Amino acid sequence: MAGPLAGVRVLEMGQLIAIPWAMKMMADMGAQVIRLESTLRMESYRGDSLYQNDISGEFWNRGGNFYEQNRNKLGITLDLSKPQGLSLLKELVAISDVFAENFTPRVIRNFQLEYDDLRRIKPDIIMVSSTGYGFTGPWANFGATGPATEGASGLAYMTGYADGPPVLPEIPYTDYTAGEQTVFAVMAALVHRLNTGQGQFIDVSQSQTASATVPEALLDFAVNGRTEARMGNQDPDMAPHGCYPCRGDDRWIAIAVADNAQWHSLCGVLQQSAWAQDARFGDKAGRLRHREELDRLVSEATAGWDVRELMERLQEVGVPAGAVLDGKDLLFDKHLMERSFFEVVSHHPSTGMPPLPYVSRPWKMSATPAVPGRAAPVLGEHNEFTLVELLGREKEELAALEQDGVIGYAPAAARPVARPPLDEQVRQGRMQRYDIDFREQVERAYPPQQ
Amino acid sequence: MSNASVPNHHSYAGGNPKRALDGVRVLDLTHHIAGPWCTKLLADYGADVLKVEPPSGDPARGMPPFFHDEAHPDKSLLFLYLNTSKRGITLDLKSSEGKRVFLELVKDVDLLVENYSPRVMPSLGLDYQTLRERNPSLVMASISNFGQTGPYRDYKATEIVSYALGGLMYIFGNYDREPLKHALHQAQFKAGTDAASASLMALYHQRLTGEGQHIDVSIQETIASTLRDVVDNYTYTGAVRRRQPNHSGDLTRLRAASDGYILPNPGIGAGLNWNTVVDFLEEPALDDERFADASARLANAEELGEILDRCFETKKKADMFYAAHERRFIYGMVQSPQEVMENPQFQHRGYFVELAHPVIGPATYPGAPFIMSGTPWEASSPAPALGEHNEEVFRDRLGYSDADLARLRDAGVV
Repeated sequence: MAGPLAGVRVLEMGQLIAIPWAMKMMADMGAQVIRLESTLRMESYRGDSLYQNDISGEFWNRGGNFYEQNRNKLGITLDLSKPQGLSLLKELVAISDVFAENFTPRVIRNFQLEYDDLRRIKPDIIMVSSTGYGFTGPWANFGATGPATEGASGLAYMTGYADGPPVLPEIPYTDYTAGEQTVFAVMAALVHRLNTGQGQFIDVSQSQTASATVPEALLDFAVNGRTEARMGNQDPDMAPHGCYPCRGDDRWIAIAVADNAQWHSLCGVLQQSAWAQDARFGDKAGRLRHREELDRLVSEATAGWDVRELMERLQEVGVPAGAVLDGKDLLFDKHLMERSFFEVVSHHPSTGMPPLPYVSRPWKMSATPAVPGRAAPVLGEHNEFTLVELLGREKEELAALEQDGVIGYAPAAARPVARPPLDEQVRQGRMQRYDIDFREQVERAYPPQQ
Repeated sequence: MSNASVPNHHSYAGGNPKRALDGVRVLDLTHHIAGPWCTKLLADYGADVLKVEPPSGDPARGMPPFFHDEAHPDKSLLFLYLNTSKRGITLDLKSSEGKRVFLELVKDVDLLVENYSPRVMPSLGLDYQTLRERNPSLVMASISNFGQTGPYRDYKATEIVSYALGGLMYIFGNYDREPLKHALHQAQFKAGTDAASASLMALYHQRLTGEGQHIDVSIQETIASTLRDVVDNYTYTGAVRRRQPNHSGDLTRLRAASDGYILPNPGIGAGLNWNTVVDFLEEPALDDERFADASARLANAEELGEILDRCFETKKKADMFYAAHERRFIYGMVQSPQEVMENPQFQHRGYFVELAHPVIGPATYPGAPFIMSGTPWEASSPAPALGEHNEEVFRDRLGYSDADLARLRDAGVV
């Protein structure tokens, strides 16, 4: 199976998430994505979240975050500070359809890899740059992380417990928002190129892509001069609406009640006939007025329930409810399993890692499903394929290039992030719990493919 | 404002030939947020999008906030944002005449987008198999809370339920409090973007091969696809990540400045030079053995936290932000909606655009999320009034006579 993007070649000079995630989506759907890396400046995701927290040996080929972002890509290393490295990169540009990068414009200019440079090499190239605040403007060269762009966009300001400071999730959330819109942008440019033969430059500002998803707040200010206060899990139009405790350690259920019918169904499942008869809660306006009281009452009533059982009972009677799933719950969730949401991927033999399930994609396509999953490359894994098969170099040249430090297979000076033992992480509260037999549990649910 | 767009109700009839998706024909059977955001992305970048609403209208027309707080079908700010560059007609798909018209419209489009719950299209007799008989190269994208298959298929969801079952909520919020969701409607936007991306992949394939297909987008899975180190923490180590404890000495923790909040980032990890932090924050109390390396900082976290709090509280967030970037420390700051709109970077890039609407008049909207050098973004028309383009579409596209139209109107089909 070739995937809908078979025949599209992407050269990726990415780091972390914003571009790597986007190009993973392209790779999953059949594009040939060549991921450029440096041995001098190792991608930091190679050194963190290591398999079984093992920092020994070639740790850089066991980084969980790297595997998450780089499935189905080819990997090459090039030292761009050497003329030969840069010139090989430009040879790759000449045979690529898309060049995707997420460094600051300063770096791109230093290497003379701006769109005008590239289109002299490949006139119909599509170049996409993803930066924190955009490729142009007074903030163009300000580096950014996910939290910074979430802060800049207006999203963080609106989010948090009522009367508390802003709260950000514990992932670089807006990097993904940018990645999602980058896939769309590159596809729009590819469709246009199909029609016209023309390439172009796409300038993604990770702040703007995030702001595009909070229009209510921006327009409310623009036309009404108003900014709503942070309201935690409450909703302007639904009550009760929140996250309530269930039986067990750190178990929660999300419940949203939109109308009277759902309210009475909730009262029924929670066996609270007194609530159903309480005039204060008789209509939506009343429930919204007494939302604090309702949150308190519902929390008391849910506390003894098993979260799954309560979710199923509420859904049976049409009340929107969902268990708050943690990482393990997701992996073993019956619905996601039945939809084959996790895909088992085999790792390079040198890593010693077993095949493992990874999240797939947020879409399923009936005629052109994704290509079979291949793990992210070990460092320099496709140096030979890329230089010999794609650029037509002689195999003998590889040794010289390695000798000259143009290509390589190990980082020059990288240290792994050592995490404390799991007992310690649980004691510190960083992890909720852990399973000694997780390998068996994972393999039972996700047997290696034959 | 720069990049001002002039409303043009007839841009579809030839359009701006330079937009990226010029010539892509979309039938938009979406409502609320996720579907309309998908088709807005397509429309603002050039696709010809025909929005089909039930005679009662897209329920998003009733969603607050409203222009001047006046509840009115053309004053919902969210609806006005989500439906730019589209034409709108009404159609009762439950009537046989309405269905017939719809099947007529399906014939000559590239893409159909819908976000009903999975039972609706089949129950209307408009499942993909039926539609492809009318149009073999049709790409159909269906967005739903849990996808078109599986045991949760018919579950009900709102944002908070998608956050819970998508796995983002568990790692969001304070250690000792209930898990949290983002404000507003993030899950819907993620799903809309993903549907737009997948649709263009399918369209690319369709343009090359003539083959259409059905795309199944699950809102739950759009969240679960973007969780760094959550499921993998389990498959790699057997551990389950939770909301992190409140470690007051954490150097990257959000801190209060005198006029808002700042997101410090001094450059972390093994390479951090403590002296540069002390120097930048101009706080002598930090120049101390007790804070000089990572393990010392962890051991003296409380005290460090108090000093840092004190030192941030006295400074203005923008001053600190700019000073940090002079040294290439990648600080961030939390901006209010007003600050976003007045931000010099956003303004330089012409992000906010003024668009005139016949009912609310001119207003400033968020504009292009990304800039394409060769094929500009453009909100070519404001969101349509309910049924605004009925006559035009029925007469010009479907060849109905005035008498036909009157009959349909009398029968309540349009």
